[in-house]
Amino acid sequence: MPLKLVRVDDRLIHGQVVAVWLRAVGADRILVVDDAVAADPFLSDVLRLAAPPDVPVEVHGLAGGAARARELAASPEAAFVLLRSPVSALRLREAGVRFDVLNLGGLGAGPGRHPLHRSIHASDEELAALRRLEALGTRVELRLVADERPVPLRSVDRAGGPAPDVPDATR
Amino acid sequence: MAPDRPARVPVRARPRTLLPAAALAAAAAALLVLAPAPVLAAARLPLAPASPGAAAASAITIGPLQAFLVAFGYYLSNSPWLFGLAYFTLFRPLVAGLFVGLILGDPAQGTLVGATINLAYLGFISAGGTLPSDPGLAGWVGTTLALAGRLDPAQALALAVPIGLLGTVIFNLRMTADSVFAHWADARAEAGDIDGVARMNWLPGQAWLFLISVLPVFVLAYQGTDVVLRVLDALPAWVLNGLAVAGGILPAIGIALNMRFIFRGAVVPYFFLGYLVMVASDLKLQIVLVAAIGLVLAYLHVTFVTDARRREVGPSEAAPAGLRPGSEVSAASAGGSAAVAAASASATPTGSDAAPPRLTRGDVLRSWVLWTFFSHANYNYERLQGTGFAHAMTPIIRRLYRTEDEIRAALRRHLVFFNTEPNVGNVIHGAVIAMEEQRAAGAPIDDDAINSVKSGLMGPLAGIGDTISQGTLTPIFLAVGIGIAGASAAAGTSVAGRTGNPLGAAVYLLLIGVSVVLIGYLAWTQGYARGRTFVTDVLRSGAMERLLTGAGVLGNLVLGALAAQAVIVFLAPTVSLYETRLNLQTDILDKLFPGLLPLLLVVGTWYLLRRVSPLRLLALYLAISLVGAFPFFGPGPTNATDFSYSACTAALLHPYTACTPPSPAPAASPSPPPSPLASGAASPAASPSPTSSAAPS
Repeated sequence: MPLKLVRVDDRLIHGQVVAVWLRAVGADRILVVDDAVAADPFLSDVLRLAAPPDVPVEVHGLAGGAARARELAASPEAAFVLLRSPVSALRLREAGVRFDVLNLGGLGAGPGRHPLHRSIHASDEELAALRRLEALGTRVELRLVADERPVPLRSVDRAGGPAPDVPDATR
Repeated sequence: MAPDRPARVPVRARPRTLLPAAALAAAAAALLVLAPAPVLAAARLPLAPASPGAAAASAITIGPLQAFLVAFGYYLSNSPWLFGLAYFTLFRPLVAGLFVGLILGDPAQGTLVGATINLAYLGFISAGGTLPSDPGLAGWVGTTLALAGRLDPAQALALAVPIGLLGTVIFNLRMTADSVFAHWADARAEAGDIDGVARMNWLPGQAWLFLISVLPVFVLAYQGTDVVLRVLDALPAWVLNGLAVAGGILPAIGIALNMRFIFRGAVVPYFFLGYLVMVASDLKLQIVLVAAIGLVLAYLHVTFVTDARRREVGPSEAAPAGLRPGSEVSAASAGGSAAVAAASASATPTGSDAAPPRLTRGDVLRSWVLWTFFSHANYNYERLQGTGFAHAMTPIIRRLYRTEDEIRAALRRHLVFFNTEPNVGNVIHGAVIAMEEQRAAGAPIDDDAINSVKSGLMGPLAGIGDTISQGTLTPIFLAVGIGIAGASAAAGTSVAGRTGNPLGAAVYLLLIGVSVVLIGYLAWTQGYARGRTFVTDVLRSGAMERLLTGAGVLGNLVLGALAAQAVIVFLAPTVSLYETRLNLQTDILDKLFPGLLPLLLVVGTWYLLRRVSPLRLLALYLAISLVGAFPFFGPGPTNATDFSYSACTAALLHPYTACTPPSPAPAASPSPPPSPLASGAASPAASPSPTSSAAPS
């Protein structure tokens, strides 16, 4: 089954994910792809234990995660992919993982990070990755919880809108 | 700490968020203008025939002092001043209703109205800095307008829900402005001013919140009733009925939103059991008894299903290999005040002191108290609870660090983005305090180690914490409180035909207050004593799974029972079979399966919520209610006091009760009169005359 949802959220599994997204998208499995988390056995463990008991959580680094995501997309399982950074999303896409929509959840503020929408912030590097994703045909939507209306990236990112030769991202 | 923006700002600045806010304000204001008028119009009308003496009980006039108190109450419901409990108490319409009732001199009716409004917010959850709707505003303003206009509770609910949407504008204004104050706190941190950081977490944010809460609510409460009362009488009677129909249907959304958390897996049948038990008791069973039965069933289910399965699978399955508590190197550095002694033994003294500073029990508790009060005092889009975390750390920083450089670094360290569930998530604070203590004692703990505990745990603990506190405990306790608040309806004698019971709000307050504070205290102290591995220890022990499964059993049973009482759908039309006129509701549906329609509605709403947003569903249900109340099959009610059988059966749906045919001898009626408990208001509303509206024989 194609990936149910690919979401970037720097808190990974938290209230919105457990409470709303998981049920809204109807996922059987959560795939967390992040090098730092995968390298930290304690955090990996917490993530595995924090999800509802009936939803298994896998934690992978970027390299293994891309392969696993492709595998899950071809399997009958409905997977929910969680990433910490838009840059990881671009890496996955470039590694051949297909997803038409990238969901942006909470991304914290910090030095050099620009506010996009509510609690979603991004650095220049992350913005470039998001624009590249849109150019590759992935629609980037900003949406904290499933009950909200999605905000398209270009409505908050006028300066770096998609190049004119890019196919319509809203298809 | 201000983001150094490039010359060409590639993204629109934050004020963007004001645009949708303004649009929402306009939309909500439009709703507000549309909704309350008819609702208020209906105010006294269904009540009028209930008792002739009720005419004396005219609308309550709201004076400026009362309006201010209501506005101040609404401010308090978002403020930190109630030991962090405002969100769980005054913010809930059940509790707001009690206090509005006290302010306006009718706590019983206030509680009943608040309890009814709360039905639409049973599944309310605010996660990660989002607010889908504002139950606080719905509760405070909705109850005020309802009491002032002598609305019946069902109509008050239809009025309050659009008001709740208006509240998201206030929330956005607050979350946006508070980001600015976070930078003021940064400036105090750079100056090494511990008290200044603490002050910046509450003073500007609360001054702003006070302004944007009190002003609009004062105006709404003081002027609102007059304005809407003036628009009275303009609307046809069927529209008023339509809003009351909506008041019976909208609780299905609140209940279904909550079902998203608990209506799954092996505990699903308990929802139907609760529903059926309540229907079987003719809606008379006390919710408290249902909850007591639920506790018994929860114990049985956890013991004979959950535990049995765990034994089969074996606990090792839950524990990923290579991760036993204490086996990793970082476990020692990540917390546990016991490790402090070892660390300090080898520590090189820091600062000017020879002996490393130690925290007292008072420091740790003071920090907990500050967090409990002020975690959301300056809640903002940029850092969410970031300044609240720094505020909570002030007693720790003051004790552990002496030099200005150390203090500045520590304040900076804790002013960054942070967000978790503020009770269960306290494990993080406890563990971080222990790490700070070791660091001050010279242990090699750098900023990254502390940040990784905060940023790594805040998400998962928010997920667990929200599920426990907002998703499970709050709705169960609310259901019990709402049940008690309205349970005395069977003996209802007020002008509305029902009397609310303030005890319902009081019981809820006690249950939620004690649980939340207890959870927060335990998480904090255990996190400090045992470090971050406390989280994995607890999760691996299976205690959380048992707790949540048991709560799922109890929650489903109570929610099912409440759904039977609170969701009201009555088909009005009759069908003719030769000489016999059969009413679709009383003669056909009620004979086949009493309570079938509300059950279908609730389960159908739960199903729809996977695809449709609650807001769209709300609009859809309002439209269905209005269409359902339109008199397709006859002349319909001529005015709002027209309760004749022909007027009742002219529409598809009827509020309050099923249509009862005029019978000279009610006792001979083939169908029993509907229970007053089933209705959102007076059974006389649908009855041809007050005399036939007596309680079921």
